[in-house]
Amino acid sequence: MRVLSDPKGYWADLTRSEQGVVAFIVAFAGLLLVGLLTGALAPTYFLYLVGLAGMYALLSFGLNSQWGFTGLINFSVAAFFGIGAYGTALMSASSSPIAGDLLPIVGLVVALVVAALLALAIGIPTLRLRADYLAIASLGLAEVVRLVVLNERQFTNGSAGVRGIPPFFEGFPVLADLPQMMPGLAIRPLPGTTIVLETPFWGALLNVVVVLGFVGVSYAVLRRAHRSPWGRVLRTIRSDEDLARALGKNTYGFKMQSFVLGSLIMALAGVFYAHLNLFVSPGDLDPVTTFYVWVAVILGGSGSNRGALFGGFVIVGIREGTRFLNEFAWIPIDVAPLRLLLIGVLIVVLMRYRPQGVLPPQRELIWPKVVDEAPDRPDSGVREAKVGGGDD
Amino acid sequence: MTDADATAADAAATDVAADQSKDDVVLRVEDLQKSFGALTATDHATFEVERGTITGLIGPNGAGKSTLFNLVSGFYEPDGGRVEVNGTEVTGMEPYEIADHGLIRTFQTPRKLEGMTVREAMLVGPRKQPGESFLNLFFRPGDVGEHEAANLADAERILEEFEIDHLATQPATKISGGQMKLVELARAMLAEPELLLLDEPAAGVNPTLRNKLAEQIRRLNEQGTTFLLIEHDMDFVMKLADPVIVLDQGSVLMEGTPQEVQTDERVIDAYLGGSP
Amino acid sequence: MVFDYLASGLVFSSIIVLGSIGLSLIYSIADFANFAHGDTMTVGAYAAFVTFGAVGGLGTSVLGLPIGFFVALVAGIAVAAVVAVVTEKVVYDGMSAGSIELLITSIGIAFVYRAIIQIGFGADFTRYEVQTLRPIEALLPYGVRVTQHDVAIVLSALVLVGSLHTLLQYSDLGRKMRAMADNPDLARVSGIRTDRVKLWTWIIGAGLAGSGGVFLGLYNQLSPRMGFNLLLLIFAAVILGGIGSVYGAMLGGFLIGMINQLTPVLTELGALLPLVPDSFGIPIGIEYANAIAFVIMVAVLLVRPNGIAGEAT
Repeated sequence: MRVLSDPKGYWADLTRSEQGVVAFIVAFAGLLLVGLLTGALAPTYFLYLVGLAGMYALLSFGLNSQWGFTGLINFSVAAFFGIGAYGTALMSASSSPIAGDLLPIVGLVVALVVAALLALAIGIPTLRLRADYLAIASLGLAEVVRLVVLNERQFTNGSAGVRGIPPFFEGFPVLADLPQMMPGLAIRPLPGTTIVLETPFWGALLNVVVVLGFVGVSYAVLRRAHRSPWGRVLRTIRSDEDLARALGKNTYGFKMQSFVLGSLIMALAGVFYAHLNLFVSPGDLDPVTTFYVWVAVILGGSGSNRGALFGGFVIVGIREGTRFLNEFAWIPIDVAPLRLLLIGVLIVVLMRYRPQGVLPPQRELIWPKVVDEAPDRPDSGVREAKVGGGDD
Repeated sequence: MTDADATAADAAATDVAADQSKDDVVLRVEDLQKSFGALTATDHATFEVERGTITGLIGPNGAGKSTLFNLVSGFYEPDGGRVEVNGTEVTGMEPYEIADHGLIRTFQTPRKLEGMTVREAMLVGPRKQPGESFLNLFFRPGDVGEHEAANLADAERILEEFEIDHLATQPATKISGGQMKLVELARAMLAEPELLLLDEPAAGVNPTLRNKLAEQIRRLNEQGTTFLLIEHDMDFVMKLADPVIVLDQGSVLMEGTPQEVQTDERVIDAYLGGSP
Repeated sequence: MVFDYLASGLVFSSIIVLGSIGLSLIYSIADFANFAHGDTMTVGAYAAFVTFGAVGGLGTSVLGLPIGFFVALVAGIAVAAVVAVVTEKVVYDGMSAGSIELLITSIGIAFVYRAIIQIGFGADFTRYEVQTLRPIEALLPYGVRVTQHDVAIVLSALVLVGSLHTLLQYSDLGRKMRAMADNPDLARVSGIRTDRVKLWTWIIGAGLAGSGGVFLGLYNQLSPRMGFNLLLLIFAAVILGGIGSVYGAMLGGFLIGMINQLTPVLTELGALLPLVPDSFGIPIGIEYANAIAFVIMVAVLLVRPNGIAGEAT
């Protein structure tokens, strides 16, 4: 890690916006640490937030591999998320009206299969056409999925939602009972504060392990895909689909792969959410989730995986941060429209003034082993200044 | 075909729009039709391109040259007629399927690939890369890497041949229009076409680069690639191409050597303001 | 029963048509899918709400609606047009972006409109302060329950659409608009001052949307989400009619509005159609009315992407 061996050089190699992001992350982590140590932030809640952030990061990865890589406009992120959440919930929950009590891993598989089928169903009519048709159709799809979940009570419990979802590791040896087996711990990080870590904490910790696993695997897959000839075709389609066609690429097929891949990652986020929250309801399919994710991807930098990761964390900050606004009596208005206003303004301002986002893709994207033979830093790289220790 | 035959054939070509006596035809266009509403853009166009030639396609503005390119390369679907590449009928096929038969095209306005370096943009060129399959990335990474390395070497070699290797790591969006045309040509060559359709390769290119471009086209032609090019710059096309096909109002007016075309009354009439 | 559904279909269609014409015009002339169009309708509805509250009834009434309401209607149209033009000048105009970036920006604009209205008026439903009318007596024997307000909506929509038709067919501006909608590049080459045409497109498109919003508020209720909820139907209408075709948008709007209101009939199709067993029907609840529009839209995209009025390619 260059950060540790040569922090000064690392810092100097970053672009201004990268420095800003690093400073922001350090400051934010510091704030969280202070909160944890003083007991203002309960460790279990903190882990819940990390889980949520991981979930948003997954959603952002999914959208990034559609919009950021290929330029596909998907306005039904919430629907694919909901398919993931309901897919696993209906398989594994005790109150499921159709199956129930199956292993969460079965739920995971079912959710992914359904999401892939749905992505194909919407991709087939629209991906041959101009990009805006997918935007329109996906907005409709989100509405239809929501209507079905809400109204088909015999399959989904309707507005009552699905309760009794087990944790993700249900049925696994050791891991399933780990939270109960772990001893309660009392820590006194600072004089005068005591933090007690008990079963809920260990459960939350396992959730974080799950989401870190999902995020890690998705990131590794996307990173490799992004730097490959496959990813290069997608990026060509985004800039100029006709060029890709003229060079003999089956752009319809590539767009379909990109769309299905992204939808699967979104569904994965939904699966995690169901086992984090242990309850899903039609409210979780609120279309506004879609646009949170859009803000995350545009803010992070369309096409940039680490940007999507960063954007996902910022969104949790906004969502949870605005929650506290309700506690200030001097703000007479509801938080919901304020959040909506914030999302709207962010979308407009970003698209208008910084469409490339905060952390746009920096490096040449050539298959890693190949480019490593070439000089590590091209003498005049993609960006004029410098190529940092970062990745894509 | 002896020289005498060729001369005879060329002479015949001045009388018949499509010369049927070419013996090794790489592209055959028969009775191609396309209209947009009331506007007939391609009107029963018929011609052939012989392997190993640099064939020019000229005609006044609005003669339907670009439409013809789009029809041949699969970007538009014709209303009638047929297109054959290498003896296979490709009418109505998708551009990528036509590319599989050896036909590659470029565009009039250079397309910018945002966020790519020149050599990255070049790497889009090679067809059938193993790394273009998503599963291969994870199950045959070694294969992907090998081909990527070979393609990168090819790309850098071609850039060198084009004398633009110093641009390899420049952002693809920050090079001049003329350099972009060269890169486009170089990238199209990576797709290893048998027939390359160039849409106004010299437009917007300064005279020095233009000569370089002509030189490269000639060199690649000698190495075996057949070219069909649309060009407005008469000087450029007359020096480079033989035969030259003249298009007017969507159909083939004549075909012949540059000299024949330049002295033909019908061509002059067409350029002076449409046929009577 | 069927006559009643047809009647309410007619009223609802009038509203959809007013929305879809503007969306189609802006789609082809400003060259992007404007996702803020539904919320432009909401802006019109609330502008009329405020105006009507301020001016009051103003005496006599026509078709059960006081004159003041028509003043409010004009205000709704004007405010929607002004808001759209200001948005165009401040946001879209300065962007050197393609239609995709504009599309994404427009969804941000949609949220801004909706959020501001929600902050100003709350999230709850409201109504115009007009008397709730009983259905017209003379039509009740036929099973048709429409009020004078419904008649007013249809007639006003007819007047507006008729004026638009006159404008498009007989004025210089209208001819240029049609030319530009058909082929923007060609229009630019042939010397049409596209900026001016574009400006008028925004004014007309948003104005019609504003009127549609006012009527929607009268037909149902007002809420900050009213326009966004209608967006899917309007898009379906525009795609059905073929993007860029004003008359296609009218036809598409009419069909989508009708089908939407006729959804309950689908379950009892057998009883209505000859030669079909009475028990036949497509069992679909009215809660899926919007889903039907979506299915139609996807079907059109599969079979005839240029719409029923567009050229088949």
